[in-house]
Amino acid sequence: MPAHSKQASSRRAGGKAPFLHWMVLPTLLVLLAIIGYPVVSTVYLSFFEYNLLDFTPPEYLGLDNFAQMASDRIFWISLKNTLYYTGGTVLVSMLIGTAVALLLENLKGPVWTAVRALVVSPWAVPFVVVAFLFRFMYMQNGGIVNDILLDLGVIGNPVSWLNRADISLGAIIVANIWATTPFFFLLVSSALSGIPDAVLESARVDRAGLWSTIFHIKLPFLRNPLVVGSLLMVISNFNDFAKVWVMTQGGPGYATTTLVVYVYRMAFERFEIGYASALGLIWLLLLLLVSVFYIRLLWNRQND
Amino acid sequence: MTDKSHRTAGSRGTFRAISGRALQYICIAVALFWTVAPIYWMISTSLKSELEATRLEPTLIPESPTFGNYVRLFQGDLPFVSFFINSVITCFLAAIVSVVIAVPAAYALSRRNFRTADQTGYLVLVVRMFPMIVLLAPLYLILLNTGLLDTMFGLILGYTTFGLPFAVWMLKGFIDAVPVEIEEAARVDGYRQWEILLRIIVPLIYPGLVTTGIFVLMEAWNNLIYPLTFITSIEKQSLPAALVLTFTGQFKTDWGGMMAASAITTLPLMIAFFAVQRSMVRGLTAGSVTGT
Amino acid sequence: MGLPKRLVSAALIAFVGLSGTVHAEQVTLKFANWATAEGATRDGMEQVISAFEAENPDIKIESESIAFAEMARQLVLRLRSGNPPDVAQVAGNDTFALSSTGGLEPLQGYADKAFLDTLKPGAYEPLMVGEDLIAFPWNQAPAGLWYNKKLMEDAGLDPEDPPETIDELNEAMAAIREANPEVIVLGIDTTNRAFALQANWPWIRAFGADPVAAGGAESEEMQAYLGWLRDISEKGYIDPGRKIGEFRPLFAQDQVAFLWDQVLVQGVIQSTNGMSAEEFNAHYGVVPMPAGPGGKGYSFEGGHQLVMFRDSQHKEAAWKFMKYLATNEAAVKTYTIETNRSIPPAKSVGDPAVAELLDTPVIEAFSNDIIPTISPMPFGPEFAEYATVIMAGVQEAVTSDRPVADIASDIQNQIGN
Repeated sequence: MPAHSKQASSRRAGGKAPFLHWMVLPTLLVLLAIIGYPVVSTVYLSFFEYNLLDFTPPEYLGLDNFAQMASDRIFWISLKNTLYYTGGTVLVSMLIGTAVALLLENLKGPVWTAVRALVVSPWAVPFVVVAFLFRFMYMQNGGIVNDILLDLGVIGNPVSWLNRADISLGAIIVANIWATTPFFFLLVSSALSGIPDAVLESARVDRAGLWSTIFHIKLPFLRNPLVVGSLLMVISNFNDFAKVWVMTQGGPGYATTTLVVYVYRMAFERFEIGYASALGLIWLLLLLLVSVFYIRLLWNRQND
Repeated sequence: MTDKSHRTAGSRGTFRAISGRALQYICIAVALFWTVAPIYWMISTSLKSELEATRLEPTLIPESPTFGNYVRLFQGDLPFVSFFINSVITCFLAAIVSVVIAVPAAYALSRRNFRTADQTGYLVLVVRMFPMIVLLAPLYLILLNTGLLDTMFGLILGYTTFGLPFAVWMLKGFIDAVPVEIEEAARVDGYRQWEILLRIIVPLIYPGLVTTGIFVLMEAWNNLIYPLTFITSIEKQSLPAALVLTFTGQFKTDWGGMMAASAITTLPLMIAFFAVQRSMVRGLTAGSVTGT
Repeated sequence: MGLPKRLVSAALIAFVGLSGTVHAEQVTLKFANWATAEGATRDGMEQVISAFEAENPDIKIESESIAFAEMARQLVLRLRSGNPPDVAQVAGNDTFALSSTGGLEPLQGYADKAFLDTLKPGAYEPLMVGEDLIAFPWNQAPAGLWYNKKLMEDAGLDPEDPPETIDELNEAMAAIREANPEVIVLGIDTTNRAFALQANWPWIRAFGADPVAAGGAESEEMQAYLGWLRDISEKGYIDPGRKIGEFRPLFAQDQVAFLWDQVLVQGVIQSTNGMSAEEFNAHYGVVPMPAGPGGKGYSFEGGHQLVMFRDSQHKEAAWKFMKYLATNEAAVKTYTIETNRSIPPAKSVGDPAVAELLDTPVIEAFSNDIIPTISPMPFGPEFAEYATVIMAGVQEAVTSDRPVADIASDIQNQIGN
């Protein structure tokens, strides 16, 4: 940070830097209008008992909503599910995406360009479509997944992928990985192409082995893109509603209920806006924690 | 043409090189199957008749391929073409509006030429993370009170809640990558700050603008909750929301029709995506290498 | 530019306004409905609306298409923000949840006793909350046990003698599984939607359980119900998590033997597999739910209602429209019967063409045998929570091996009665 402020002040010779800059005003004004008010009202409502169905004024509860949350079994389940969902998706997609990018790195020519395009294509499939498609493929009877696995003899009986508490979250994560992997593939491919030839050349001269080239030469170049990319995907998956909602609506039981599904049900099925706001607030704090962690990672890197 | 992994292995023995190459191809084949199979299934199902699509013993290749599902989409009682156009217009405008508003902010944040730059930057990041679903009810009231409920403009505003902070954040990364020195010459020539932004920075980060715009476009296209809530009449509905609303109706789930609609919903995103893939690849690295 | 244009339009408005006073004042009613939001019903609904407008030139209907799943949310939000429509199509618990907000206009002042007496017994009574008639029954769509005669024959069962008790049903299901390992034996909705609790409620009642009564969720009866579901799930008779609408195309191709579903099945099946009415009746039948351990079987009312909002400025016109939709015979024919494939609430119809449409074995079975078995639901502000909790338990019962007693006591704890 100090380095940057020095830069900035050196550019503005003389005069003190202004408090705000007019160039950020349009953004700040728009954000104030469309997010400022909703956020304030969310924080405010999180201290109230407020159900849209009974037309009584909100009742001040203090911290009761948060106390209730601590003993709310479903809140903890959905928190755990959200972490699994986000963590599982981001980690595995990152691994597969990186591996495939490395596999395809040096293959050139029209055929391989086409292969790359195909590998990337799931990223252009809208979430809602991913959800319907996998719901259709996962059907216990008549689903193609069971049909193929039965034919191959991998399973003896049709599996109810989305309706067994022990595997349904995993099944949704697999669908999500399918949709997320291309992002990492693209990210890593472009980062790989950005590695200076000289670096690779010297590795070759040193007769570095395949694995040692990957781990010692290439991975350091991939670190920052992967940090930023995974932050993007963590946020996106924390907020992901369409896939779970369309595939299981949080079931069976609460096995796939993520925070976003829980808040949605609380706010728009039971209309408990106060409690839903409290949940949202905790969620915001959680995401902040994650982002602080990520920013640290990046700062460390930049200050090296 | 040259293959580094092949060459490194080559020095250890031809057999290993060949088996290594074979393993590489096998892995690629598996990855290819994994990505393509679901898409194949979507298209294959969309070409089946209603009865064939719901069979308990699914057929891998449509027995009697038909475009009936697609025809019904466009000739049915529901204005499928309108859904399509609605989505295209709102998502494109949301992307453009977000990027246009975000560029000056990203520039100012990148150059830190005001005292609260860091705080503002964090604020934007925080806003970016705020769970959309919690904004839903208050946003609804805002749109209602301003008469923007059930209008495209209202929906675009909704998309902007995540599009704008994201665009600022992403564009700042691109601008960070532009060396300050480039601006100095222009400054000497007497360019004002906004002229520097428009004439120097914007052309330089053009791929970044496109990448950011496409990202916002895709997030908007993927968004389900906002159109479901802010658009109340079906004629103005977005494509993904209409997909959810019209294929899970009270009578039956028509998988063939659903998959045809899915394919149509996917198509524009595929086209947009492949059209800009090159600049996107460059943009992604530029934006991410320099980080925050 | 701007000013002259505005003047012209002001003059135009004044002119139209003046000439308009010759006729009665035109009112515009906002009608929120999902009939125009779905491809299958849009056309029929629009026809009925145009016909109404033609008969009532002083009333214009502004149809607002809102999806079924979104209706409750939209209406509650619009009530809260002071912007409700005049009339809305609602169903199930949403009707009662809306009524609990106090935003609905009670209808007993519009529908007098004589008019209500023209309705079938039981059609409007469940919609009374205290003294108030909170909604008007638009159409009836109860559920019965549909069976596929061919699959029964294949299994050596008598297709003219469908199961009358749950024990008989169990035997029949075993026979069908034995004869045909491929088919889904019983189609029943076990999703975690509020609708699924509606569909399961009669079965729960048939086992003698009342999970929302004090201690009811962990009662032996409730455990017996959960145990039965677990058993038929383990034997592979049911397909957990499939929505009811996803069973219907399979039922149309002899891949589901029994289907717990509403009256609209006949229309859906015929439109799916192209059968004529005779072919359908030769192939399928419907009976009331087999009697459970409590000695009785039940049904649920899955029909749609019409509500009027308290804030409406045109209540007389709104009532006229509601009454037209529910009881005008042309509207009943076009929408209720031919489009929505449901049963009109009126006792009798005058028009022989309409009466003939209603004179089918299926509608007869529903009217005479099934409608009398409808069991009231624990509707109200708590229902959504009950549905989430109970269906979560049901899903746990059919998909895990956790002891049923534990699941039942979990439900009990969360319902809290």
